Amino acid sequence: MEAEMRQRGSSNTILIVDDNEINRDILEAIFSSEYQTEKAEDGKEGLDKLLAHPDSIAALLLDIVMPVMDGMEVLRKLYTLGLTETIPVFLITAETEPSTLKEAYSLGVMDVIRKPVVPYVVRRRINSVVELFRARKSLADQVEEQRNKILHQAQQIIDLNMGMIEALSTAIEFRSGESGAHVRRLHDITKHMLTHTALGEGLDRETIEHISLAAIMHDVGKIAIPDAILNKPGRLTPEEFEVMKTHTVQGCHLLEQIPQMKELAAFDYAYDIARHHHERWDGRGYPDGLKGDEISIWSQIVSLADVYDALVSKRVYKDAYGAEQALKMIQEGQCGVFNPQLLELFVREEKKFRSLYQR
Amino acid sequence: MKDERKNILEEAGISVEEALERFMGSETLLEKFLTKFLADPNFEILQTAIKSGDQEAALKASHTLKGVCGNLAMKQLYEKFSDQVSYMRSGNWDEAAEEMAELEGLYEKVCEAIKMTNF
Repeated sequence: MEAEMRQRGSSNTILIVDDNEINRDILEAIFSSEYQTEKAEDGKEGLDKLLAHPDSIAALLLDIVMPVMDGMEVLRKLYTLGLTETIPVFLITAETEPSTLKEAYSLGVMDVIRKPVVPYVVRRRINSVVELFRARKSLADQVEEQRNKILHQAQQIIDLNMGMIEALSTAIEFRSGESGAHVRRLHDITKHMLTHTALGEGLDRETIEHISLAAIMHDVGKIAIPDAILNKPGRLTPEEFEVMKTHTVQGCHLLEQIPQMKELAAFDYAYDIARHHHERWDGRGYPDGLKGDEISIWSQIVSLADVYDALVSKRVYKDAYGAEQALKMIQEGQCGVFNPQLLELFVREEKKFRSLYQR
Repeated sequence: MKDERKNILEEAGISVEEALERFMGSETLLEKFLTKFLADPNFEILQTAIKSGDQEAALKASHTLKGVCGNLAMKQLYEKFSDQVSYMRSGNWDEAAEEMAELEGLYEKVCEAIKMTNF
């Protein structure tokens, strides 16, 4: 793109369109020391030459009375194409009918120069306008360049945010022997369910991104759970389980205490998911015992994905189950009750998630 | 350009300095177009068109000659052709035709001068 810009910046050809040889040669002699010159003998030829490489044309010098296609017709055409905005057009003419001049100016002509031309006048008037167009163009290019830079930086900030959040979540998961893959998979499954099923209805692409990012942070509260409980190979005692359950509320506290997190568009989702990803459809989950639609759809998706992921992965307290077995256990209600519609859609999409585990 | 040649052209009504300035000081270009002026068919076309009443052809030829004479700094011819073009554009064909006598005289004089200075 930079190369293209440089080339556009070098528009250095004066296109002379006049049916009369003397006029063409005079204008060429005036400009050939500073510009490339190209000549055409009628409007049609001129238009064709201009359209062949409009970016290289610094200015168009146009006669009015010409055979085949006259200057006004060329001008109308250029105006329609929007090219009079980017290429300065000059009428070089003996014709000075007020109505013609008025139309010409309304079509975007920069200046009308009387024939026979006086070289230093033509040169001066055309050079000024060419300079103006070049300056304007270069300013527009600069603005465009800066805009791209800012967009690029904005993307970097988004990526960095995402990276930091992933890093934080992975560091916490790491304590319980998980790699970053677990949070990644939850991100991917959540995003897939919201993008490709009816569950995401009414959510735009950006919101789905925010929710999927929030899903990554579902277990950050586990940082507050002692190692002895978090990594206990056997079954937890009821007391230990009570402590374990607090990771939901602890996650919310943690998220709340990071000021920058609160500014994030994903914060509300992250808070909700951290707190409610262990609720169950029948109200028998924790910490709040919400039931049915009281639980947000994203929290429901994350909790199902979390259960599925736990079943098909090896954990300190269990071996990995096969995907079919895991689905069967979920459908039988061994891991609590889930929204039937969600369950149906999850089963429908589940085969697509299996590739996430093949590494 | 030698003074002698310049004088001949000036006397025939060609403002040599102005013409040279227009050609960015290039005598070669000026000479090229003075020579071409002799071969230009437009004056004959104009004469024929005026006689036969072909208004479109007459206007076109007169307009072209006006441009050429302007560029070559042929002052009187340029003014006369300018007048003629205006007459034609405003529909005064009688007056446009009346210009012909004087135009023919001036045209002849300029052509003679160019021929004399040509080599």
